[in-house]
Amino acid sequence: MADVGKRKWLALAAAALVALALPQMVKSSFALDIFIRILLFSFIGAAWNLMGGYAKQLSLGHAAYFGLGAYTSTIMQIDFGISPWIGMVAGGIVAALASLPIGWLCFRLRGPYFTIATIATAQALMLIFLKFRDFAWGAEGTTIPNLGSAPLMLQFETKASYYYVVLGLLALALLITWRIERSWMGYYLVAIGEDEDAAEAIGVNAPRIKRDIYMISAFLTALAGTFYVQYIYFIDPATAFSFNISIEAALVSIVGGIGTLWGPVIGTVVLETTSTLLQSWLGSSTGGIQLTVYSLILMAIILWRPTGLMGLFNELWQRRLDRKPARMRTSS
Amino acid sequence: MLETVAQAVINGLLIGGIYALVSIGVTLIFGVVKIVNFAQGEFVMIGMYISYFLATYFGIDPIVSLLVSMPVLFVTGVLIQHVLIRRVLGPNDMPQIFLTFALSLLLLNLALLLFSANYRTVHTSYSDEAFHFGGLYVPEAKLIAFVVAMALSGALWAFLRTTDLGKAMRAAAQNRDVATLMGINPNRVFAVAFGAALALAGAAGSLLMPFYSAYPFVGQVFVLMAFVAVVLGTLGNVLGALVASLMMGVAESLGIQFVGADSGLIVVFAMLLLTLAFRPQGLGGGRMR
Repeated sequence: MADVGKRKWLALAAAALVALALPQMVKSSFALDIFIRILLFSFIGAAWNLMGGYAKQLSLGHAAYFGLGAYTSTIMQIDFGISPWIGMVAGGIVAALASLPIGWLCFRLRGPYFTIATIATAQALMLIFLKFRDFAWGAEGTTIPNLGSAPLMLQFETKASYYYVVLGLLALALLITWRIERSWMGYYLVAIGEDEDAAEAIGVNAPRIKRDIYMISAFLTALAGTFYVQYIYFIDPATAFSFNISIEAALVSIVGGIGTLWGPVIGTVVLETTSTLLQSWLGSSTGGIQLTVYSLILMAIILWRPTGLMGLFNELWQRRLDRKPARMRTSS
Repeated sequence: MLETVAQAVINGLLIGGIYALVSIGVTLIFGVVKIVNFAQGEFVMIGMYISYFLATYFGIDPIVSLLVSMPVLFVTGVLIQHVLIRRVLGPNDMPQIFLTFALSLLLLNLALLLFSANYRTVHTSYSDEAFHFGGLYVPEAKLIAFVVAMALSGALWAFLRTTDLGKAMRAAAQNRDVATLMGINPNRVFAVAFGAALALAGAAGSLLMPFYSAYPFVGQVFVLMAFVAVVLGTLGNVLGALVASLMMGVAESLGIQFVGADSGLIVVFAMLLLTLAFRPQGLGGGRMR
């Protein structure tokens, strides 16, 4: 057992080293762009997974928090000249606070209708930002001033710097997930995910736990929103509150393995790689092909491997472990 | 002023009839099979494209092509239930939600690949006609759609009330295990419920075609309305969904008239949020009435 534990740490250290060294070895900005996307969606997926994966509160409205984070930091930067680093944290706090009333409403419904309520709240927020042009530029959105190299304003000249920022965010989310997984809260979350009524019957304060994890999840998702608009130098309601953000957050987690630490990362790597390969084969002109393939992958996973790719890996690993002693016996 | 209100109410009721077809389908599947079909809107879209192509290539009137779109979608529904949905029925929500959600994404994006994002319309002899009552006017195409939609809703109601299969469906909705013990084959009941729901969505599509454009995302408009109407009308309650859909149509129409052209959805979301805040169990009571 101790040997397996040591091997896990070694693998983690190796992965961290590769992740840190990658921008030094790969200089192509096309490739770096893909890596940044992978890290960003792994991060969003990890934030979603805390609530959607462990507590099985399947939100399809996380774009609400992505958008609130993006708008908070952008408004603070453009109107008040405050650094997006501060704006990022402020956006996280705004999102966490917004999750309270939204959660209060949505948690009244369970299962699929919770999911629908989350879609509706995210859409409603998008409509609000579309309509009120006085404080948020309406439907046209705005470009974010490009200050060149301004690390204090979350703006960099090289993609490698953005890469390290989002790598740091992902590391933060994974660390939080790892800590929660091993805490009482983690067990409560899994209990709620398994059977909410049963969890309450044995004394789990389900409404409070759900509220707390929703706040954490919303906070993290908002950080991604700030990062993304700083990276593309543009914000409008359709980008910031895009339904695709909500979809992808859930998708990468489910494909990778819902309620597992590394599931969102693995899911994102597989889906983003697939989408990049598709684009290079077919050209980017064919709209719809990416989501067509995503939805086929999602259906295949749900029908044949609901535990996701992590479940598949674990099963294969277990099979290998089971086979080993058998082989030793036959050889001796 | 009064006339404007009356006109807005008429417009709302007429489009509410279409919403009703979609939401009755959603609530029927939820009541009987106990899943939410996120792809319901995409079947409206498919119904529209069926009618569009029949009208464009064979000159068949969209209302008549109901006779094609409904059976085609009924069979599609039975097959989907049999091949896909049956495999994810269980206590776990995740596979059910994301299977129909994946189906919705798949159909929507396939439509985008096959038919492009272009808006497609069918022009019929009655598309621009309207009946006038004093200062009020009732577009002919919308009135036909409303009347047929109400007739179909009534037919489903009668089916659930009077036929053995319909009663079996209501029994399965109330208590699946006991219904199975009473000799009801749940798979058959589920397949018929799913098929009937999709047939209604197909009918909605065909009825829309004379006055509405078909495009890959069109289903999203209707399914959002339907979800809100189904919550408002109490989950699984067919009559509740019907009444709520008409209310939503009117609310949306009044919103467009008095708040602004793009505020219809805001009114609808406001209704959903108010319902959740004050009456999460919906306006109707019980289920499968």
